[in-house]
Amino acid sequence: MANVKIDNVVKRYGAVQVMHGVNVDIEHGEFVVLVGPSGCGKSTLLRMLAGLEEISDGTISIGDKVVNGVSPKDRDISMVFQSYALYPHKTVAENIGFPLKMAKRPKAEIDEKVTRAAKILDLAHLLDRFPKQLSGGQRQRVAMGRAIVRDPQVFLFDEPLSNLDAKLRVTMRVEIKELHQRLKTTIVYVTHDQIEAMTMADKIVVMRDGRVEQIGAPLDLYDRPGNVFVAGFIGSPSMNFLRGKIASADGAKQFASDSGLRLPLPDTGAPDGAEVIYGIRPEHIGVSADGTAGGVPVNVVVVEPTGSETQIFAKAGGDVIDAIVKDRIRAAPGSQIHFVIDPANVHLFDAKTEQRI
Amino acid sequence: MHSNRLGWLLLAPTMIILFFFGVVPFFYVIWVSFHQWNPFAANPNMVFNWASNYRQVVFDAQLMASLGVTFAFVFFAVVSELILGYLLAQAFMKDFPGKAFFRTIHTLPLIMAPIIVGSIWKLMTTPSIGIIPSLVQSWFGLDLNIGQSALAAFTVTVVMDIWHWTPLVTLSLIAALVSLPPDPFEQAQIDGANKRQIFWHITLPMIAPAVVATVFIRLMDALRTVDEVLMLTGGGPGSATRYIGVHIFKEVFPRTNYGYGSAISVVVLYMTIVICWLLYVGLIAPRNTKKG
Ligand SMILES: Nc1ncnc2c1ncn2[C@@H]1O[C@H](COP(=O)(O)OP(=O)(O)O)[C@@H](O)[C@H]1O
Ligand SMILES: [Mg+2]
Repeated sequence: MANVKIDNVVKRYGAVQVMHGVNVDIEHGEFVVLVGPSGCGKSTLLRMLAGLEEISDGTISIGDKVVNGVSPKDRDISMVFQSYALYPHKTVAENIGFPLKMAKRPKAEIDEKVTRAAKILDLAHLLDRFPKQLSGGQRQRVAMGRAIVRDPQVFLFDEPLSNLDAKLRVTMRVEIKELHQRLKTTIVYVTHDQIEAMTMADKIVVMRDGRVEQIGAPLDLYDRPGNVFVAGFIGSPSMNFLRGKIASADGAKQFASDSGLRLPLPDTGAPDGAEVIYGIRPEHIGVSADGTAGGVPVNVVVVEPTGSETQIFAKAGGDVIDAIVKDRIRAAPGSQIHFVIDPANVHLFDAKTEQRI
Repeated sequence: MHSNRLGWLLLAPTMIILFFFGVVPFFYVIWVSFHQWNPFAANPNMVFNWASNYRQVVFDAQLMASLGVTFAFVFFAVVSELILGYLLAQAFMKDFPGKAFFRTIHTLPLIMAPIIVGSIWKLMTTPSIGIIPSLVQSWFGLDLNIGQSALAAFTVTVVMDIWHWTPLVTLSLIAALVSLPPDPFEQAQIDGANKRQIFWHITLPMIAPAVVATVFIRLMDALRTVDEVLMLTGGGPGSATRYIGVHIFKEVFPRTNYGYGSAISVVVLYMTIVICWLLYVGLIAPRNTKKG
């Protein structure tokens, strides 16, 4: 177990800079998820942590020791690659025991630890198989087994679930989280899937284009996204955004969208006329059929029932807004309903800087 | 049915050529090997003589000596080619200025006919005019004369074979190394393996099929080396470099002893098959059965 400090890290490939001064502090035993769209530099950062990529500038420390220039084998880390990177010519047992064999541990100890890891990961009956005789989920577990046998200071995971089908992904998500709770080892986990990030992380690092956009606990990011990018990235389906201005009507502040909608606002210091982006999550929009509860009249475009909930896409002014409700709404496309918005759930962002107001 | 017949039709030319240039000579050699046949002997006709050619093989002291030097030659040549070829392949995996140029010229020996290679090396090793004896003299103070020293002649034939055939090993190992996935190597680094451990535990097992295939090719080729050595040393001094191919050549052509030469050829073929089979059983088969 160790803390990890990423301090002002820069990465250049030749003249191209892909990482622009990243700072992340990771506590002992924390489960940190790096999340962001494809190409934002998550893998590069993880590989710099592992020692597989050189650090162009800045420092990375593991357990208070600066590891710039320390080779991967001396960093006391384990990594699970997206491809699992199993050794094709070795059996499951040999794969899992490999780090111990390289460390020249006695055979009895290797056998014992491999057996224990195999038991934890439910691989005991597969120990004599070769990787090509395993299913995707089993390979994934072998890679995890190889990572846990040597009891490293830090686990690194690079999109370990993205090659699995949706159902298995959910199962493995739970297993990895359980594993973390059992081992309490620091984990840095990379994914592009914000659901994985939300469900697994103690702390999420949202990245874009080689920069950290925001760091925080999952629910903090959900409740108080620091900018439009994070607001749009965290939460599924994505937040609705409307561009417009602050306006006053009847002595109360309101949001006037460019398309002519008037929407309620929370208390805000933003002056009248300020250009803002108005954000509201689909799950925070209520629906009322007749407008008795107030709300904004909108015209239904598409209704998508999933059983547990219903997603409604509706046109309001020139914008399409979507809402998710638990009730089973039967609304014909083209018919009018009302969207009810609680101002407390509204997120306001500056239109220019896209930062939260 | 129709497409099947078309398939055979398309294959036919290849099969006919293979039949006449591969299968027919093979059986012809076996057939000849059971005959006494020397067109310039008192009786120039083929006379069936049961297995007496084979009996003669067993008691041929010259043949046994030839086999001995052949195995030494093959062993030193192939092992050196493998090691050197691997090191070169690893070097060509890295980036350095002029890499494409060096990779191209290092393969040039491959496209030379063995007889030319033999002539060049003969020129280079002729005492008093060749560059190699002169260099060996000035560097090591040794007098290299392949016409007199058995060891020198043997060594030069080995070096010549290395010079000629290492590029083949390099090329096939480059192909094997290039096709390796990068992930297991990064994973091994993370798993704490050092360079030597990575070589023995990851690289070598993963390129083993290519290595064994290359060894087979080089082994079979080296076992039937004739023209280079014939050109360079003529099999001498004495019979120091009278490798099995040279021995057969000398039996068959100057002495026109066709029946006996054929019998040796068949024995050598049989030995080649046995050696390859042993290699296969030793190196490849265990991997397959373990996986099966
Ligand atoms: N070897 C490389 N040479 C040049 N650019 C690279 C290299 N590896 C990655 N990049 C660039 O760095 C950026 C981040 O890549 P990566 O870390 O793989 O993204 P992610 O894992 O978030 O999808 C991308 O723009 C990618 O094109
Ligand atoms: Mg990636």
